[in-house]
Amino acid sequence: MNAAKTLPGWLLAIFLLALPAAHAAETGYTLRATEVKDKPFTDATTVATLPEKTVVEIVTRQGGWMQVKARDAKAGWVRLLSVRLGSPDARPQTGGNLLSAIGVGARPRTTSNATVTTGVRGFSEEDLANAKPNPAEVEKMKGYSVTADAAGEFARAGKLTAQDAAYFDENGKPVKGKK
Amino acid sequence: MSARRIALVLACAGVATLTACQSGGGFNVNNIDLSAIAKNVGNLKEVKEPEEIQIGGSMAETLLGASPLLDDAELQTYVNDVGMWVAQQSERPGLPWRFGVNSSDHINAFAAPGGYIIVTKGMMKQLRNEAELAGVLGHEISHVTKKHHLNALRKGALVNLLGEGLAASSDKHSELVRQLAGPTKELYARGLDKSDEFEADRVGVVLAARAGYDPYGLPAVLTTLATADPKDNFLSLLYKTHPLPQARLDKLTPGMATLDNLKATQNADRFQKLTRKLKVASN
Repeated sequence: MNAAKTLPGWLLAIFLLALPAAHAAETGYTLRATEVKDKPFTDATTVATLPEKTVVEIVTRQGGWMQVKARDAKAGWVRLLSVRLGSPDARPQTGGNLLSAIGVGARPRTTSNATVTTGVRGFSEEDLANAKPNPAEVEKMKGYSVTADAAGEFARAGKLTAQDAAYFDENGKPVKGKK
Repeated sequence: MSARRIALVLACAGVATLTACQSGGGFNVNNIDLSAIAKNVGNLKEVKEPEEIQIGGSMAETLLGASPLLDDAELQTYVNDVGMWVAQQSERPGLPWRFGVNSSDHINAFAAPGGYIIVTKGMMKQLRNEAELAGVLGHEISHVTKKHHLNALRKGALVNLLGEGLAASSDKHSELVRQLAGPTKELYARGLDKSDEFEADRVGVVLAARAGYDPYGLPAVLTTLATADPKDNFLSLLYKTHPLPQARLDKLTPGMATLDNLKATQNADRFQKLTRKLKVASN
């Protein structure tokens, strides 16, 4: 990534924009001691155990799982919630920048100066403060709405079936209620 | 309470023609009795569903005033299909749910009372599959079913709004919109209580799971957002109005295990197909 520092800005911008959003290489680290499974299932075979703050390369993400490769350990699957993207040293929540964003896979692709120029359409605090009510857009929004029956058709087409799941409280304990 | 009643009575008395003060002194806005809302607010009673929908629609006019809908009927219908299906798993399936993608490059999503939900184009571009979209929509649907915004208004802004009394107006709906615009802007710039956001996360993942989606859709989105710079312009409002993504992930972690052995559909292909235009158009 040091090479990026020497790139001209416009080239960097092209590089950023060309990155496929969902498939860029990402790195992260384990938030806690974590079992590595050979398949993305809880009952799959454990092939390694990574200590807390192990840096991993994320090969791919699949739902609640990440396929990872740590140095000196077998590649395998760990729980999404056991990994935090970024580096354990750099703290992305408190001061990322363009280059560190590239380092963690450039997602979200929002820190590029190239995009913060003209033609940006926003919903910033200022845009909100200056908003004039737009009844025509609400009418348009109503026009796009679908019926519950249509949504059921859509779900069937997508092989989605409703299933029971209970709400849970702050401690992760199921709470009483419907379903 | 009595002060607000007085304000309403004074407003009525000041109206030159009595058309705005029908039905025993109430203000009718498209058959919605605003004085009844005022009374309910004063007593902190439930706002009735038709009134809730009217309030939400008025707020949506302001939200869409900040950024209009994206002109892509296929995408808008798709988001409505996903959202309506997830909403059917909630306690309020019969609300007139309406979903929309606005044209903003900022990364955010909004709900307004009565079933109005708006996702930004910028947020859509961060998502990888339908389960992630269902997770985001599930979070917003939960704000509606739990009446988070409505309750926030009842605690503050709406009381002031109705306390002022409505001026005489030939177009009472637009008057309601006008009166709600300030409180709406204030509420969406300030955000809800953190506890409301954490609750919407917990309820949202369950709604997505009930709909058959991978419940890790929302955690996956939060994982993506957790890498971003909080000072990033496109995330500024989201970060100002929500707890940090990693804090939300930490709060969700204990409960996610309860959803582990369910069917978990992602429908990445359908999602990619229907959002392809967004990605092409963006660059």
